[in-house]
Amino acid sequence: MTDIRYRPIGADAPAVLQLTDVQHRYGSSVGNAAGNPAEVLRDINLTLRAGEKSVLLGCNGSGKSTLLKILNGLIAPTAGRVSYQNEEITPARLKEPGLHRRFRGEVALLFQNPDAMLFNPTVFDEIAFGPRQLELPDIEARVRHWAELVGVDTHLRRPPFGLSGGEKQKVCLAALLALEPKVLLLDEPSAALDPRSTGWLIDFLADLPVTTLTSTHNLGLAPELGSRALVLGEDHRLIYDGPIQALLGDMDKLAAANLVHTHRHRHGDIEHRHTHVHDWQ
Amino acid sequence: MNRDRAALLLYLIAVLAATLIHDPVWLAAGLGLALLASGRAAAGILRRALLAVLAFNLAISLSYAVMAWLQDFSPWQTLIRLNLRVLLLTVLSFLFIARANLFRALDFSQGLTYVLGLAYSQALIFRRAHEDFRLALDSRSLRRPRLIDRYRASAAATAWFIEKSLHAATQSAQALRSRGFFND
Repeated sequence: MTDIRYRPIGADAPAVLQLTDVQHRYGSSVGNAAGNPAEVLRDINLTLRAGEKSVLLGCNGSGKSTLLKILNGLIAPTAGRVSYQNEEITPARLKEPGLHRRFRGEVALLFQNPDAMLFNPTVFDEIAFGPRQLELPDIEARVRHWAELVGVDTHLRRPPFGLSGGEKQKVCLAALLALEPKVLLLDEPSAALDPRSTGWLIDFLADLPVTTLTSTHNLGLAPELGSRALVLGEDHRLIYDGPIQALLGDMDKLAAANLVHTHRHRHGDIEHRHTHVHDWQ
Repeated sequence: MNRDRAALLLYLIAVLAATLIHDPVWLAAGLGLALLASGRAAAGILRRALLAVLAFNLAISLSYAVMAWLQDFSPWQTLIRLNLRVLLLTVLSFLFIARANLFRALDFSQGLTYVLGLAYSQALIFRRAHEDFRLALDSRSLRRPRLIDRYRASAAATAWFIEKSLHAATQSAQALRSRGFFND
């Protein structure tokens, strides 16, 4: 089995998705109570290269979900440029049927809340939704293949709404993978999973031959999900872009991103405070 | 009295007046006045209000028109009054929300502020979830979604919202009970 996670990606690998000087702020539409528009991303520059497995880290509210939605062309940034395979992605350009179909087929986003993605009457229809839009000839075989691979083949005739959180997540993954995308963006995919399903997900993603960017605030999972780390700070800027192992050794950087915490410890009679990352040390 | 509390008082008086006035001419004048007070935001507020009341007004108006036709009387006066009143109340509400800070308006009561805080946080959570449902359908659509797919997506979102609302309402009631708001 190829361990794609640790395959070094050189600068010569083709750029797939690129953000240049991206800024984003959410406007307020609920009147004075919500206050001023909030800035959620500042001066973001990044390039995802073909085959790369990257992890997007940041504390709650740092802008991870917004960044993924911008990369998926769902939200247009307030300023800056988004490009896919060197073509600029804007709301106007995404209205061109050819580009829209190619981009949506090749760049997939797994939402944090799987319920947001599920609306078809059965699991089969859910996985077949994408291939049917492309009128692919092998829909039945394709659905069975991906359902088996993610382990939901026994639920194909069931409505997706009655499944557990982990099973729903798997159905969503199968539905996205049935189109064989080139880039898979995953928004906190382990948030609703139990430890067994989380282990399964890590192994599954490691073996997938696609470019992935997975957001998480769990440092324990991060090195398992990718070799490159992108860290969003509390000021909504990208404060780190480099190897994950180097990041995990940099407590100052982790503390600046609010990814580690300090609390009191008792070792016998001695009580002291220090920075702690329980879930990966 | 702070500015927001004055706006709340004015809003409540306007709502009361709108429910007591029956002459369509005065209701129309009230609507015009409310839009005038909205200034540059008038078009946006009117559009949002029309969208918000569309389904309700249409259903009630059609039912009333059918009943009037069956019983052979003219429905127009009532229909105009009803539609104008609902639209006026909705425009007033949107105008108040756009102009005043409800938290400051209710800061005289700890209980009301707490309940408002709960409702507001739920509204924000639901707004974000609603956006996610919409974006997820966009994200999965390689071509313009069919009408049936839109219906299914709306039905799935509605079912999710009902389930979450029930859960949130239970949680809020338990939280209020835990903090001594009820003693039943």
